[in-house]
Amino acid sequence: MSFNFNGVEIEDTFAEGFSMWSSRIIVTAINRKWANIAAQNMTGFATSVIACDCEAGIEREIPLESTPDHRPGTAIMVFGFSKGKLSSSMLNRIGQCVLTCPTTAIFNGIPKTDSDEMLDIGKSLRFFGDGYQVKMRMNDGLGERVRFWRIPVMQGEFLTEELYGAKKAVAGGNFLIMGEEERYTLEAAERAVEAIHSVPMIITPFPGGLCRSGSKVGSKYAFLKASTNTPFCPTIKNTFKGSNIPEKVNSVVEIVLNGLDESSVRRAMGLGIKAAAGAGGVKKITAVNFGGKLGKFKIGLKESLEVP
Amino acid sequence: MKVLKLKYVGQTSIPIEAENITPDRVAGKQISEIEKLPVYEGNKQRNVSDFFEISGDVAEEVGEQVIVLEGDTTLVKYIGSSMSSGKIIVEGNAGMHLGSRMTGGEIQVKGSVDDWAGAEMSGGYIRINKNAGNRLGSAYRGSPEGMTGGIIVVDGNIGQECGAFLRRGMIVIRGTVAPFAGVHMNGGQIFAFGHVSKRIGASAKGNGGFIACLGGVEQMLPTYIYDSTYKPVFMRVYLQQLSENLGVKEAANFMDAQFERFSGDLACGGNNEIFVASC
Repeated sequence: MSFNFNGVEIEDTFAEGFSMWSSRIIVTAINRKWANIAAQNMTGFATSVIACDCEAGIEREIPLESTPDHRPGTAIMVFGFSKGKLSSSMLNRIGQCVLTCPTTAIFNGIPKTDSDEMLDIGKSLRFFGDGYQVKMRMNDGLGERVRFWRIPVMQGEFLTEELYGAKKAVAGGNFLIMGEEERYTLEAAERAVEAIHSVPMIITPFPGGLCRSGSKVGSKYAFLKASTNTPFCPTIKNTFKGSNIPEKVNSVVEIVLNGLDESSVRRAMGLGIKAAAGAGGVKKITAVNFGGKLGKFKIGLKESLEVP
Repeated sequence: MKVLKLKYVGQTSIPIEAENITPDRVAGKQISEIEKLPVYEGNKQRNVSDFFEISGDVAEEVGEQVIVLEGDTTLVKYIGSSMSSGKIIVEGNAGMHLGSRMTGGEIQVKGSVDDWAGAEMSGGYIRINKNAGNRLGSAYRGSPEGMTGGIIVVDGNIGQECGAFLRRGMIVIRGTVAPFAGVHMNGGQIFAFGHVSKRIGASAKGNGGFIACLGGVEQMLPTYIYDSTYKPVFMRVYLQQLSENLGVKEAANFMDAQFERFSGDLACGGNNEIFVASC
């Protein structure tokens, strides 16, 4: 079953989202360049939990007037399968990629009131100070007290909040863009990613937001737990039995997105599909699911397009 | 918010102890009951109505109660002592112990206050538009801890031993600071935008506490050692809060300032920090 949207065939199917724990941090630095360098390093090798310790991405750049220290900031979201996994991934990544990066400081990006749990990331990071770390408190008399840690580093000081908000979130939002040529799918996908990032609290963890390989569970090799999504590989569409590639489609790109809640993921998917469908040269858009066996969130393409 | 006005009409030259002038004690009462609340003139018990004319509205909830004190209340002590919520506005000066041991709420004094303002307070916000006396936000004699939370902002100058035994919370002084600021402090923050006199941080232990001197220091104790000159990021977070949330606009001028970091007091094995702006 499919329907037509702006001349593009949309398969009436759903993306199968699943639950993960997510946290958001704001990295600030002396300028935009160093904030982004820290954020890019911290979110490296975090595309998929198939082989990475977590899924992470840059959520957005934050102007200096909106950060706690009035320096340019970059918001990062990290997703893990459990609070423990999320905590350890964040600790390792902040410790190796942000603490080490010149001029940076980090702040909690999910307020306590919006969080399901508070993770004591900064409380653990403080031990890097080897006994010379200094605690610091804010908001006495103004609101809820917030504790920070100042850790001496060779370049000066690293500042981190003690607790970081974590929330049960939604991962696995996705859709596939099918086109006649690579240039069309790439252009459509780039437009889609841009539209997706207009929604707050969403990340697209793959390179540039795009996954060209796709993935499926298992493979013919016993040692490999996942392989490329062969039913959607155009170069073998007539060789692979049961290929899902329509006629005249020679390129497919997948966009994967994670978000803080289901409604944000649905809205972002809808905006992404609309942007892709309007790009030209796109033949069909569909999504990947496992028949509802993997995750509890069924995010229909049709429903996502109905979100204003 | 319900506003209750207390106009001082007393003629005495003896200080009045008026611990009952707090939102906690007046909320939910009739004005006739408030008039009969006890105050002390020296060692003699009197009623509130002996010194104040009362008008206005009484709130049912403490947090909804505003008390406005009019007239010359220079000799009225313990205004807002132990208050937990609501707001007090003092149109003129206030006597000693203003807001002492308060746990929440807000006090604004449009004039000056005498000694012991905010002593041992644990929460809330005190704003003094002119000067403050000695032992601002400090511990009472014999107590191991002074202020343990909340914020005091003084727009003018202050007396000696401000923040003595400070444990937590923040004291901000926009004018000059007399000797022994932060003596025995063991946590908390003191920001001084005016000139700071001698012996700051004497016998301070540290525990995350610091004194930021943004208007110069007369003399550092020899038991403080200089470590480094740098631009601490954490200072930006405080200065931004001071500028935007507490109306201390000059704080924004120091966002990119270099600070000299001193630590001590080595005389007591402390790791308290003193930051001196070097711009």
